Amino acid sequence: MIFNSLTFWAFIALFVPIYFALKGNPRLWLSLIASYVFYGWWDWRFLTLISLSTFIDYYLGAFIRDASLLRKQNTWTHVFGYGVLMAMLCLVMNFLSANFYASLPYLDYWWFPTIGLWLAFLVMFLTDKVSNQNNRGYRMMVVSMVLNLGFLGFFKYFNFFSDSFANLMNQFGVSASWNTLNIILPVGISFYTFQSMSYTIDVYRKHLEPELNYLKFATFVAFWPQLVAGPIVRAADFLPQFQKDHDFHWDRIITGTGRVLWGFFKKCVVADSLAPFVDQTFAEPNAFTSINLLIGVFFYAFQIYCDFSGYSDIAIGFARILGFDFMENFKKPYFSQNFSEFWSRWHISLSSWLRDYLYIPLGGNRHGNLATYKNNMLTMLLGGLWHGANWTFVFWGLLHGMYLIGQRLLGKPFGTLMNGLRFPGFLKLSINIALTFFFTCLAWIFFRASSFSKASDVISGIAGFEGFSFVNVMNKFMVMKGFLLIGILLAVEISDIKMNWNGIAYRNPSFRIAAYATLLLLIVFFGTFGSGAFIYFQF
Amino acid sequence: MKKSYWVFATIALALLVDRAGGWLLGKITKESQFRYSRLYNGNEEADVLFMGNSRGLSFFQPYAEEITGLRTANLSYNGMPIELASLLTQDYLDRHKAPKVLMLDLSLMDSVRMDNKLAYQFNHYTPFSGRLSNLLKEKFTNDYYAGKLSHLYRHNSEVFQRCFFYWKKSDKDWLLDRVISPEMVANVGNHAPIRFHYDHKMLGHLANMVKYAQQKGTKVELVVNPYYPDFVPKIVNLDTLVMDVQRTAGVTVRRYTNAVQATEAFGDYQHVNKVGAKFYIDRLVADGVIQAKPN
Repeated sequence: MIFNSLTFWAFIALFVPIYFALKGNPRLWLSLIASYVFYGWWDWRFLTLISLSTFIDYYLGAFIRDASLLRKQNTWTHVFGYGVLMAMLCLVMNFLSANFYASLPYLDYWWFPTIGLWLAFLVMFLTDKVSNQNNRGYRMMVVSMVLNLGFLGFFKYFNFFSDSFANLMNQFGVSASWNTLNIILPVGISFYTFQSMSYTIDVYRKHLEPELNYLKFATFVAFWPQLVAGPIVRAADFLPQFQKDHDFHWDRIITGTGRVLWGFFKKCVVADSLAPFVDQTFAEPNAFTSINLLIGVFFYAFQIYCDFSGYSDIAIGFARILGFDFMENFKKPYFSQNFSEFWSRWHISLSSWLRDYLYIPLGGNRHGNLATYKNNMLTMLLGGLWHGANWTFVFWGLLHGMYLIGQRLLGKPFGTLMNGLRFPGFLKLSINIALTFFFTCLAWIFFRASSFSKASDVISGIAGFEGFSFVNVMNKFMVMKGFLLIGILLAVEISDIKMNWNGIAYRNPSFRIAAYATLLLLIVFFGTFGSGAFIYFQF
Repeated sequence: MKKSYWVFATIALALLVDRAGGWLLGKITKESQFRYSRLYNGNEEADVLFMGNSRGLSFFQPYAEEITGLRTANLSYNGMPIELASLLTQDYLDRHKAPKVLMLDLSLMDSVRMDNKLAYQFNHYTPFSGRLSNLLKEKFTNDYYAGKLSHLYRHNSEVFQRCFFYWKKSDKDWLLDRVISPEMVANVGNHAPIRFHYDHKMLGHLANMVKYAQQKGTKVELVVNPYYPDFVPKIVNLDTLVMDVQRTAGVTVRRYTNAVQATEAFGDYQHVNKVGAKFYIDRLVADGVIQAKPN
């Protein structure tokens, strides 16, 4: 189910009143079922995967801290029962969609969740048996990592790595070709896998007590507002919020509604209006002149920002209405003056996840310059790969890694140069922002292009400056509308730095009524509807 | 209740502004110099009526009017589907004296390159046309009723934006003025073959349109407008299309695929620019397809 669909609004109209009418476990059940409906609307068969992931991390979380917590509850009986249930579910699924997994050669793919479950069960059981009280936590945490990353690797990266390996072998004259598996990428798998992993790691690090209420834990993993495209909420922040019922509160309705409207403005109005022009230019860069390609890249920078941050705003807004607080995911990233600032403003839930669970454990910046550069690069490469199974994403990560290293190397001399030139402060700020934006856009080309050759066509097309004139701009109406909407967006964001529009809307009812009505009308008048999913669904 | 008043006030304000804005934009729609506004105003009397998709704009009106002394109207639009073309032509014929000639470029007979969603962009013209209302109600039900609920939504389309842009100025002189790039010229051989995708339903819409015009006393000329010469061999089923159209519509198709030869006369493979349009109009006049007004 996507936010910008009529089905979603029917879902909301049904869900929200019942949610506030219920308390305690019934409300949790409602939230869990609603979340599974929300996710299953896209492809209900993958509910087995998310429930499998939930099951594994629930039990591992408890085992990591203290196996006796669950032994008292006859855990292995639970595990066995769950396994049987999953096997039955898979059988039903197989009857209902006979051809679902038929594309997989040599393996009854539909058994995957069951096989996965029993393997997980076996690994956990054996690990439990061979471990003692001192090393059990660590080993169980490793099992959690392997299983979670194993699912992610299989569903998202199997074909990518097998193709890449075959290509590499072919380079050495070794014929290595096989049928790739026709694997459907489950929506949001990267998001909920990272969210789930944060739980087991935090339990292992003793930042969080294991959650023994399965219903609460399952709702935490699958909670619909952020399930498919983030923000990647941390267990330590989010699970405690399930410990109490959240009452209906007008203050939350006010701020949540504003956030939701702003999110829809970004997604339906800005991002989806820019999308057709971007799609055209990146589909066939050779057919477009320099000016069109440049506009295409510029538009893409705002399309992806508005698409993704729009989703986050909607998710944060709905969560706030329901009584939950999610972390901020974007803080006006295109006003960053350098790349480390950019990454503290862009997709904050992922960048902070990578910082806390990868960069810092790798050593962060504590072991000298070379180690810091290596850690920066590794983190950004993996961040790139997280986005998608394509070398273009890895290259995007590589570029950002290089930017961060370059900033460390050249930041000081550049600062000295700027000071020496005695530019006014505003001009220095503008130059820094413009440079950061320019290099960000350069990296976006690789992020958006379907291949390196398309990316190079875009870059060479722009750099050639051929047909660099307004006369050659295609779809002038679309372009004018795009610039107008970007102008509105920037005007609001720039003025928000001083004004804090949310705060004013909260305190001043007249302003709120005018602002919300204006947003509503802008969405109605400029919005593009039915154009499809959010970009980050594919990640 | 006290705390919730702002919700009702917001909705009320939005509805109020929506209606006021809708009224204002409706007025602009009515007064605009855009071709479809003129169509529905009944202010587009013409001797020659042109119809087509983006290639239909090759019927460059200012030059045609200059050399023939005739009044022209052009209802072509990018990605025009034949069903909508037929509807607009019939609406035109109902609101105006029958033109002498209706010229239709056949390249709109292609379901792949036509914009299937174009009709809903004409939502703001539904108050003026029963045919358009029925089409939207049938094919774009959600958009039709959303347009009833919100009058601003009815104006949320590129067609309206053009209508607004041409509020006070004519849109007759719009045509590409760029020249095809040397890369495109060099790569034409590598272009994949293209095919017209059409079915009986589309042929039926065309036949209805032709019949309706003929009943009103308008002569119908079906033509294939020029393509970049080296691109023509890439079109694999033009002959079949022409035969099917001739059989269904009962009108001979005139093929002008190679009527323009000069490279600088094209904006890309499928569109002539202003220079090419002049060549083409000269040819149509020379062939008597458009007959100049006697002095």
